[in-house]
Amino acid sequence: MAMNPTQDCGRRIEDLSDYLDYGYSADSDHIENCPQCQARLAGLRSLSAAALDLLDDDVASLGDDPSWLDGMLANLRLETRAGRTIPLDGGDLDELSETEGAVIAMVRSVGDSLAGVLIGRCRLEGEVSVAGAPVEVSIHVSARYGHPLPTLAEALRSAVFDELQVQTELNVAAVHVAFTDMRPPLDESPEGQP
Amino acid sequence: MKIPQDFSDKLAEAPDEVLAERAGDGDVAAFEMLARRHGSLMRAYARRLARSFDEADDVVQEALLTAWKDIASVQDGTAVKAWLMRIVAHRAIDTGRRRKTHHNLDDQPDPADSKPTPEQSAVAGSARRALNDALSRLPEEQRRCWVLKEFGGQSYGEIAEALGISETSVRGRLARARTTLVKEMEEWR
Repeated sequence: MAMNPTQDCGRRIEDLSDYLDYGYSADSDHIENCPQCQARLAGLRSLSAAALDLLDDDVASLGDDPSWLDGMLANLRLETRAGRTIPLDGGDLDELSETEGAVIAMVRSVGDSLAGVLIGRCRLEGEVSVAGAPVEVSIHVSARYGHPLPTLAEALRSAVFDELQVQTELNVAAVHVAFTDMRPPLDESPEGQP
Repeated sequence: MKIPQDFSDKLAEAPDEVLAERAGDGDVAAFEMLARRHGSLMRAYARRLARSFDEADDVVQEALLTAWKDIASVQDGTAVKAWLMRIVAHRAIDTGRRRKTHHNLDDQPDPADSKPTPEQSAVAGSARRALNDALSRLPEEQRRCWVLKEFGGQSYGEIAEALGISETSVRGRLARARTTLVKEMEEWR
């Protein structure tokens, strides 16, 4: 087709939209060389740019309104996840148990208390509902730069192991630590480590 | 129990994927941090999709509940923001569907409450205001397609699935919306 800018090239917005949204169209050769299509594309691109500005404005106009979110979250009444049931020996008279969710929350809490450590995902692998079955604990950790990782991993392993010994009857065979995220150091040193 | 300052600092600086992992394990504080981080965006997006601000807040509320229930299934925690946006979109569309079933408002023009509010009219920059006004005059079905595409970044296939229409219809509605909006913005210039 001859490209004559004074004549409508016959391309519709749909045809250009594919090119705009996916960066490719079967018609790319024409679109890239047709002044009319290029002019329309420029219009579509500035529309998309204005759209993002508008969304930014929308968000900014909401302002920082923590009380709105407080209300939202209070209404939700989020319940923690129980997970599997872990038996505890309560003697002959009692049937005691704790939930997997409670144990994982405890692991998080022990890990979070170490400087520079924030626990991510935590998994109990093994038959936790069978008393005495070997269980391995797998923990994802986000660490702050500046804490030597082997030392941190060892401190975390032993703290988690000790706490599980005290608070549960799980037969902990291993505690696996994986550093899955690194956070930049803080400007100040609120953890008391310059 | 009072949350120690150090711990809330750690949560506040944690990336989305770590918060999503914790939330998936049942950590309410981590989920709330995610909600605070992306709440305004969810709310703004819901307002563009819903008929009224009250309806938008209901949509966000439902979206947060759905997110809490499903967050353990999130595979890519770095994409949690886009995932939250998709949930908002689905909840908004469901709400619209329920409204139509109840009131049989199909094909009726938008009620007055989708007109720009004072705070939106204060939108800086006339190009954005022109777009804002043009957008509020679009038929709802076109506006939704456009908002899902431009604000939500969703593909034609995702939009089609969410709206329960064909991809061809999505392309058509989007093209009509874009044609109108480009024209109105050019007239403004």
